[in-house]
Amino acid sequence: MSAYGTPGAGPVVHDPTTLPADDNVNPYTFCVDLKGSQWFLQKGKMIAYYGAIEFNGIGHGRLDRLVRTVFHSPLHASDWVVAEGSGRMLLADRAFDVNSFDLDDGNLTIRSGNLLAFQPTLALKQSIVPGFLTLLGTGKFVAASNGPVVFMEPPIRVDPQALVGWADCPSPCHHYDHGYLTGVWGGLRAMTGLGPVSGEEHQFEFVGAGTVLLQSSEALMAEQAAGVLPDEPGVPGAGRVSGTGGQQTGAPSLPGQLGGLQRRFGL
Amino acid sequence: MFRLQGSRVLAVDMTGDAVKAKNGSMVAYDGQMSFKRLTGGGEGLRGMVTRRLTGEQMTVMEVRGQGTCWFADRASEINLVRLSGEKLYVESSNLLVTEAGLRTGTTFTGLRGASQGNGLFTTTVEGHGQVAVMSDGPAVVLRVSPQYPLVVDPGAYIAHQGNVRQSFQSGVTFRTFLGEGGGEAFQIRFEGDGLVYVQPSERNTIAGDL
Repeated sequence: MSAYGTPGAGPVVHDPTTLPADDNVNPYTFCVDLKGSQWFLQKGKMIAYYGAIEFNGIGHGRLDRLVRTVFHSPLHASDWVVAEGSGRMLLADRAFDVNSFDLDDGNLTIRSGNLLAFQPTLALKQSIVPGFLTLLGTGKFVAASNGPVVFMEPPIRVDPQALVGWADCPSPCHHYDHGYLTGVWGGLRAMTGLGPVSGEEHQFEFVGAGTVLLQSSEALMAEQAAGVLPDEPGVPGAGRVSGTGGQQTGAPSLPGQLGGLQRRFGL
Repeated sequence: MFRLQGSRVLAVDMTGDAVKAKNGSMVAYDGQMSFKRLTGGGEGLRGMVTRRLTGEQMTVMEVRGQGTCWFADRASEINLVRLSGEKLYVESSNLLVTEAGLRTGTTFTGLRGASQGNGLFTTTVEGHGQVAVMSDGPAVVLRVSPQYPLVVDPGAYIAHQGNVRQSFQSGVTFRTFLGEGGGEAFQIRFEGDGLVYVQPSERNTIAGDL
């Protein structure tokens, strides 16, 4: 077929027949097999593809129905695109570990910066925990993490920086080490910021049945903007962009600006 | 003789022969070694002028001696490529070590180079021997054949070899200017017969987010 065979002890050479279908090529690269189907992915995470695949922003008119049914991070998340066509597509994210997970009629909440791609059989919604997204339904999604992901069972307390997401269990609550916060030393520390600190005085606490996903490092991935929350009373974190920092730059989009309008018109 | 020790350190066993390596990439050696800085990538005066003009500058040293020499650079993943007469096109910043028998040079890449943010020129390595290429994360080697053309994101491309044609394809439409682009505004399409090396990470490129 080709004159360039695999040399003796050289690297493995992939072509569309040897690339895995919907599986990892190596710990850092994931291969999606598209057969006339669609996948949602974060902008710019495709590194290569075979076949005929089209990438469209989710504001693309033809995708309006799809976006309306499964993409509930409503009219704002311009960081997502839909890949459509047939062929094999490789996804990777800044040489971080990537893994695919299967959801079977389940729910999973994940840090917005960690979610890389998902099948449209899943529905994406903003979590009421700011900076997190929730996937509902049945299907496959791909997530990036700094180091391999470990799965834990609640009850568990986890470090905020190591948390990737959680599935099937109630949302976490904050936990503070009260021995640290009270007493003379606690007061001194609170007032002066001085004193012995272990860096582990605050955790997220999970209870109930489910699974907690942790990454094996405390380096956070840059968050992706997950959309502005409606500014209403009773909405946690209302009126500001969920998933601060990240790629959201420039002026906040005011209602009636072209950005919002043209999405509404499905351009 | 090149061998990888782990995936981020390259060990080269030498018996009086020489290799060309990126300046300062030696981390350890055993035996007798001499390190000589080569001006202009070791390509003579013409090569020196070409590299200066094209911006494909690389500071290269010649390592010669008896024993084993270890190379590494900023914990980048190292990929070994064996060449038997063909030409490897690689970015000078991704080139770690080449065997002394290989010829290196510069070539014009046109728009592809510009889209990668690497300038308009790239480095070529030609001859018989082994090359160590660095990547951010282990490289995936993809075969291009007449029935399976390949499209690559410019930011993830690191090298290619063989008889392939490159063309530049653009997904820029009016939507891109409305901030609704497909995220993959510029792509390189490879057709023909050869191998393409991509890394699981994207360099910052012009229009990388469009």
